[in-house]
Formats: sequence, C-alpha cells, structure tokens
Amino acid sequence: MSAFLRAMGAVVWKDLAAELRSRELISSMLVFALLVILIFNFALELDASARANVTSGVLWVTFVFAGTLGLNRSLAIEKDRGCLDGLLLAPVDRTAIYFGKAAANLVFILVVAAIVLPVYSVLYNTNLFAQPGVLLVILLGAEGYTAVGTLLATMAVQTRTRDILLPILLFPVVIPVLVAAVKATSGYLQALPLDEIRPWLNLLVTYDLVFTAAAFMVFEYVVEE
Amino acid sequence: MKARSRVLLGLDVVTLLVMAAATYMVFIYAPVERTMGLVQKVFYFHVAAGWTGMLGFLAAVVAGIAYLATRKSSWDLVGLGAIEIGLVFALINIITGSIWARPIWNTWWTWDPRLTTATIMELVYAAYLMLRQGIEDPERRARFGAVYAIVGFISVPLTFFSIRIYRTIHPVVIGGGDPTVSGSFSMTPAMGATFGVALVAFSFLFASLLWHRIRLGQLGAQVEQLKLKLMH
Amino acid sequence: METTPANTLGYFIAGYTVIFGTMLVYLVSLVVRHRNLMQEKRMLEDLEKEKK
Repeated sequence: MSAFLRAMGAVVWKDLAAELRSRELISSMLVFALLVILIFNFALELDASARANVTSGVLWVTFVFAGTLGLNRSLAIEKDRGCLDGLLLAPVDRTAIYFGKAAANLVFILVVAAIVLPVYSVLYNTNLFAQPGVLLVILLGAEGYTAVGTLLATMAVQTRTRDILLPILLFPVVIPVLVAAVKATSGYLQALPLDEIRPWLNLLVTYDLVFTAAAFMVFEYVVEE
Repeated sequence: MKARSRVLLGLDVVTLLVMAAATYMVFIYAPVERTMGLVQKVFYFHVAAGWTGMLGFLAAVVAGIAYLATRKSSWDLVGLGAIEIGLVFALINIITGSIWARPIWNTWWTWDPRLTTATIMELVYAAYLMLRQGIEDPERRARFGAVYAIVGFISVPLTFFSIRIYRTIHPVVIGGGDPTVSGSFSMTPAMGATFGVALVAFSFLFASLLWHRIRLGQLGAQVEQLKLKLMH
Repeated sequence: METTPANTLGYFIAGYTVIFGTMLVYLVSLVVRHRNLMQEKRMLEDLEKEKK
C-alpha cells in the first residue's frame, strides 16, 4: 500500500513540478476558460436577471471545455515524450500511474476553478464564495470528470484522430456529472434548502465512486503495449 | 462449418416467419386503440426496437468483458456487431417515438428522460465507432473498443437517473400505474399478445442479424490477413 | 361516452415506413459489404497465386 502511494505521489509530483516549470497547461486552460466566459457574456447577454439562472451553466461549460484541453495536453505530453512508455516500464502498479495522472489533472482543474471563480465574481459583481457548498460541488464534479477524462484521454492520445476524439468520447459519458453539478451549483447559488440539492449531490458521489472504480479496473488495458 | 450455416439458415427462416406473424398481428389482428387511433400501433415495434437496441448494447458489454478476459478476437467481432445493430435499432426506436409523439404529445420532441437517454446512448455508441476508426492496430482497436463499451454502458443508467430527477411525461405502459400521463393506455389481451410476439420476433431478428454481422466481420478479418500476407 | 379514435393513419404509415425502411437499409448495407469483401478476397487470392 505504501509503495502504491509512493508511486502515485511520484507521478503527481512529476506532473506538478513540470507544470511549475513550464506553466503551459494551466496558463492555456486559464486563458481558454476566460475566453469562454467572455464569449458567453456576449452570446447570452449576461445581464443581472439572466445571470442568476445561467451562472452555474456558464461555469460548468467553462470547466468542461477547459478541462478537455488540459486532459488532452496532459496525456499527449506523456505520449509524445515517450514518458508513458517510460512510466509503464517502471516497476510500479499501473493503477498507481492512473491515480497519479488523475490526481494531477484534478489539481489542474481545481486551480483553474480557483482563479475563474473570483474573476467571475468580480466581473459580474456577485460572490460565488458566499455558499461553501459551491466549492464542494466543484470538487465532486471535477473528481468525476477527471476520473473518466484521464482514462479516455489516455485512449484518445493513442489514436490517429486524437485531437478531435477526446470530446467526442468524453462528453456523452460525463452528461450525468454536468447535469448534477449544474443543478447543485445553481441550487446553492439560489440558497435552496438542502433537501432539493441532496439528490444531485448523491448522484455526483455515486458517479464519482462508480467511475473511479471502473476506470481503476480497466486502466491497465489501455496502457499495455 | 456446414452444419453451422444450416443452423443459421434455419434461424433466418424462423426469424422471417415470426417477423411476418408479428407484422400481421400489428396490422390486422391488434385492435385500434380508442383515443389515439392507428398511431398507437407504432408502439409495438417501437418498444421492440428499443428492446433490440438494449440487447445489442448489453451483448456488447458482455463481449467487451469477455474480450479483455480471453483476448479472443472473435469477442471483438461480437461486440462490434452488437453495437452496430444496437445503433440501428435504437435509431428506429427514437424516430418512431418521435413520430408517435407528434400527434399524441403535440410535439416531435421533449426532453423526457427516456428520449434524452436514448439519444445520448446513440451518441455514446457513435463515439465508439469513431474511436475504432481512429485505430489501425486491430488488437488495440479491440482492446480500446471493449473498454469504451464498458464505460459507455455504465454511464447509461446514471444519465437516465440524472434526467429522471426532472419530471417525466413518458408513458409507462408496462407496470406503470399513472393513468394521467398523456398517451398512456391499458393493453387488452389482443394487444398484449401482439406486443409479446413483436418482442419475440425482434429477439430472433437480433440473433440472426448478429450472427450474419459476425460472419461479415470474420470475412473482413480474413481479407485483412490476406492483405498483410501479400505485403510481406 | 364512446369517442371515435383520432385519425392518425398518416403517422402510423410514417412509423412503419421508418421501421421497415431502416431495417432494409441495414440489410442492404450488410449485403453490399459482404459482396465487396468477397470481391476483394478473390482479387487478393488471385494476386497471391500470381506471386507464386
């Protein structure tokens, strides 16, 4: 168990250290996320009345799109530099590599969220931090998203059509996360009673558990060579 | 091999007969429903097609697991065939549902859980075919296909529940107790018999199509091998 | 309270046209793919014989 954690920690650390040096992943995700918000601003006329209803939708679409960019890049780097093969040659459990990559991707999305939320709050003069529940939803949603996303991105980067394939593979299977996260976020933002939010939280937790377990079980089949 | 193709021929004949019987029952035998009129008869093959689609996707996930466990390429042919057939019948299911909904719900489309889930399912398996197209190595194609078939199949019930939490207007004909849902009806014995025969007919149709599709896949694999042999 | 059924014959016909039409298209696609593969197989086998 401790060997497993050490291997996983090493993968996470490798990704974070590389990112600290180059900053290419988070910076591109971040700029992209801000651009998406900007586009929504003009496409949806985000005035005060419209915003109340669509804020959570805009936020989640932003995270999902930026997340796709990050996932694709994160695994493409591994593939192109031959790191994936190197990692696989290392005498560690393959699933430790999966959890390491997934955790690093989760950190990237959370960092982007940590910057997007205050920026959005300032731009639209609201306080998204007023309800701590929102942060919980983001954590749960991002976990489910990266759990599946890391698995599918690992497959996508090994195909001929890798640049276009990831969203096509990923979006139809993360719809439950998106629906539940959007509804739960807007529930918290509108300060609805917990009873109305709980079904969505339950769904998010179920999704996280089911897909983390499933990805954990099948990951070794997508990296063998 | 000879005996096997004779069994297949037998299956084809049986399938044709049951399909003919089911069609006869739908068109002639089943009574016309009191309020909805003839369009209600679309229901029989609409549900049967949905059933066939689900059979296909279920068979694909079983074949996917079997492939990962045994690495026999024949399981991959089963999985691919099942998904292809599933896609065709799920599409029939969605379109006929839409045609039925137009006069009954007065709209071609609503964002009801079943409709939405069926459509998302169609997209999942379309993505499966695109994934396969992007991979040249047959072994990797089979492996990734199996993994995606499993992941996609697990997502379907979660998608359904995520949309279910909104209220549904889709009638639940079997075992549903809510008569206020627009377009629901209770089945007379003649309707029930027709429905049963349609389900049996489509199950035979699925088995027979899948078998043919697997044979097509085997032929394709032979051609691939011949090509490889010639190149060296 | 005997109501006459709504006249939905057009939708009924459309529905079954789609059902049988789509199944027919799929069957034809199976046949066409089979024929193409057989043709390719024969061609490849001829090539193989020439090579020897």
